[in-house]
Amino acid sequence: MKRDISRPGPRTTTILVAMVVGVVAIILCCCIVLFLDRYRSAMVQSARTGSAQTVSQVSSTVGNYLRDMDQAMELVVRSMSEPQQSRDELLSAFLQFRPDVVAVTSYSEEGELVECWSLGREPRKEIFQNLSFDLDTARASDGPYMSTPHVETIFESYYPWVVTMTAPLEQGGEAAWVSLDLSFSNIFNHINNVGIGQRGYCFLMDRMGHIMYHPQQQLLYAGLKSEDTAALAALKDGTYVEDTVIYAVTSVEDSSWRVVGVSFVDELVNRSVREMIGISAGLAGLVLAAALLTSWILSRMLSRPLWGLASAMERFERDADHFSYRPVGGTREVRELSQSFGHMVLRIQQLMSTVRQEEINLRKTELKALQGQINPHFLYNTLDSIAWMCERGRNADAVNMVHALARLFRISISRGHELIPIAKEIEHAESYLQIQKYRYKNQFTYEFDVDPGCLDYYCNKITLQPIIENSINHGLDLLVEEGRIQVEVLQDGEDILFRVRDNGVGMSQEQVDAILEQDPEDRTGIGIRNVNDRLRIYFGAPYGLNITSELDVGTCVEIRMPKVREGEYEAK
Amino acid sequence: MRRNRRAVLWGALALALLCGCGGEQDASQRHSVALVVKSTQSEFFRSVFAGAEAAAAEYNLELSIAGPETEEDYETQNRLIAEAVRAGAEAIVFSAIDQEENAAAIDAAAQAGLQIVTIDSSVDSDQVSTYIGTDNYAAGQMAADAVLDRVSGPLYVGVVNYDVSTANGQERERGASDAFAASGRAEITAVVNTLTEAGRAQADTAALLTEHPEINVLLALNEPTSVGAAQAVKALGRSEDVFFVGFDSNVVTVDGLQDGCVDALVVQNPYAMGYLGVESAYQLLAGQGGALDETVDTSTRIVDRDNLFTLDSQKALFSFEEHLN
Repeated sequence: MKRDISRPGPRTTTILVAMVVGVVAIILCCCIVLFLDRYRSAMVQSARTGSAQTVSQVSSTVGNYLRDMDQAMELVVRSMSEPQQSRDELLSAFLQFRPDVVAVTSYSEEGELVECWSLGREPRKEIFQNLSFDLDTARASDGPYMSTPHVETIFESYYPWVVTMTAPLEQGGEAAWVSLDLSFSNIFNHINNVGIGQRGYCFLMDRMGHIMYHPQQQLLYAGLKSEDTAALAALKDGTYVEDTVIYAVTSVEDSSWRVVGVSFVDELVNRSVREMIGISAGLAGLVLAAALLTSWILSRMLSRPLWGLASAMERFERDADHFSYRPVGGTREVRELSQSFGHMVLRIQQLMSTVRQEEINLRKTELKALQGQINPHFLYNTLDSIAWMCERGRNADAVNMVHALARLFRISISRGHELIPIAKEIEHAESYLQIQKYRYKNQFTYEFDVDPGCLDYYCNKITLQPIIENSINHGLDLLVEEGRIQVEVLQDGEDILFRVRDNGVGMSQEQVDAILEQDPEDRTGIGIRNVNDRLRIYFGAPYGLNITSELDVGTCVEIRMPKVREGEYEAK
Repeated sequence: MRRNRRAVLWGALALALLCGCGGEQDASQRHSVALVVKSTQSEFFRSVFAGAEAAAAEYNLELSIAGPETEEDYETQNRLIAEAVRAGAEAIVFSAIDQEENAAAIDAAAQAGLQIVTIDSSVDSDQVSTYIGTDNYAAGQMAADAVLDRVSGPLYVGVVNYDVSTANGQERERGASDAFAASGRAEITAVVNTLTEAGRAQADTAALLTEHPEINVLLALNEPTSVGAAQAVKALGRSEDVFFVGFDSNVVTVDGLQDGCVDALVVQNPYAMGYLGVESAYQLLAGQGGALDETVDTSTRIVDRDNLFTLDSQKALFSFEEHLN
């Protein structure tokens, strides 16, 4: 019945907060994941675009350079048809003008070196191996072509890395081909300085995938780095994302060269994605905080009053009589609930007091009916006795009897009062005993021992008479020797104690219990139970009867009631 | 219970906000690395510098480069190490002239909290985190094998070595003499320890060849001695009857390969030494030192007249970056 407050189990607030936070967290996660995914692909796309743009710029720069070299080549080719003198002058001026041209060489039909022009350098007399010219390649190509990078080998103690541009000459001349050895400067430095992102770079390769120029060429040569140029050579122009690397490949216009841009997704994209993750996490935190705050406020608005209401109900359950209800605040629903509960409390308390009052009234009515019932039976017995006395001529006794009877009835009626002075009650008991003594032909004696201090207090009327009646009928009637009834009235602290003692046959404990608890079957028993019930209704549980009895020794009935003065309890 | 739960939620929230705001990392300051080598003059070390600079650029390091005038001056090296420590370098990439005399200075630097990486030639110190360079014993064997493969008959070998206390020269010599001894038809006729300077090397080689005319195989164990020895062979007109194997790439020896006074070169990879040395220093400073090997063997190849101008030999012999400007 009792409710356990600390019983585990989810509460509305917990569920509410968990639900709100959970839903918000899930939505946030979805949004962030979606957003980051979109953001990342957008970033990758923009990185690809940036990479492609850079590469196309480099490509056009390289294209310009190559066109420039083509023009230079045309100049050299034209100079070859000049006479020796002006050819030397022309080429000497050309070499002055183009310091990146290491050497100009011309070759015969058989691939023999015919002439060499270089500023301040003469070729070896015996060239061990000339990497600047390859007869097979020259014969196979039908126009100017570029070699892959190689070391210049025609000079003594001078071995720069160069690329060679070779062009065929018109038929009939002394030389069939002319070559320009170009050092890695200018344009290549330009490529050096092109960066894509922090670590990205561009390099040049030919259609076959031979690296023409790489900003980290020496790293490649020292075997510390490699580029998968074979795979790149197979790719068409465009941008490709491989794992974390973006390759942008563009062919240089009118040439066999291709520019490759290499950039790294992680540095271009991941850093900004990381930043975005940071911002998103911050936002998510804020939103979650807002959600928490909202749930907290909701819990205050909804849960707190409900808890108040619940504890109020619990208090009401424990002690309905003395519960006074204070309405709780909160949302409208809670207030309405609270008000309904308030109404309900009042209604229940009203109903409870009504029920209690009705019960008391019912009992009183019952008692009055019982009081009424005693009298006629006693009356005609007594009247029989009086008639019998008159027949025998015992007029004095008859007169006493009639007086006693009159007193008895006067006190019994007492103008309808329930409580009467104790003196009157004793007078009533004495009249009764007097009448019975006549009727029982002096088979018993009686005596009163009354504390005079008690006489002014009040007691329920007809309290002693049913006890005495019981003693006479059940205790003394069957007794052979002379019976004795002793009535005591004394003060016991704040209480008045009546004690009716007889020396009758006594009762067993079962009989004693039966008298007070069960509905008695014979009429006389009603009297004793009546007295007990009446006292308890009037004065409460501690008051009433206490019967002690011993078989063949006698019975003692104690009646306890509070000290009642005139006017008190009369209203009940 | 209610209060606890709320506290936990607030804590989580605060954490989320912190993570959101704390995402920015402050840019790590540039680490400072000192490269101390044997000499700043030879092509070999210029290539080392180029590699070191490339790595320093790639890893955003502050790189200082220093070396003595001559390859015997270990005292200057010790002084340079101490200066690097004073200048606040966090790591030293070091090529030792004297494996014993340099040890104390390296220990002191390590004591001061510097990370030690050795390249090319190591030092007798247990503070060295890694050695990057040629397997010198194998390189010596390689040189001897180049001779044994190409020359038949009994071999009288003259060795032109440099400072006796330099580790890599001694290792190379040991590798070569072991390989010659194993062949059974070669003997080391004479060893000369000259200075790592072409003029002195030429003079000492000429003296050696004059004193021991039976010498038909000559071995020079680093770049300056190779240059000197090649010049001596050429000057004495012994190009035909002396099979000369040198070390490393220099225009003089490459010219010599073409005109016959040099017959083979053992070409190391100095660029890789410089690059990997500085890279390792960076890894040590960045706390990735656990991934480093104790020794890293850089590539070595034999170049002779037959493969002189193959693409691979070109790449090994001729530095690309030197001719960029």
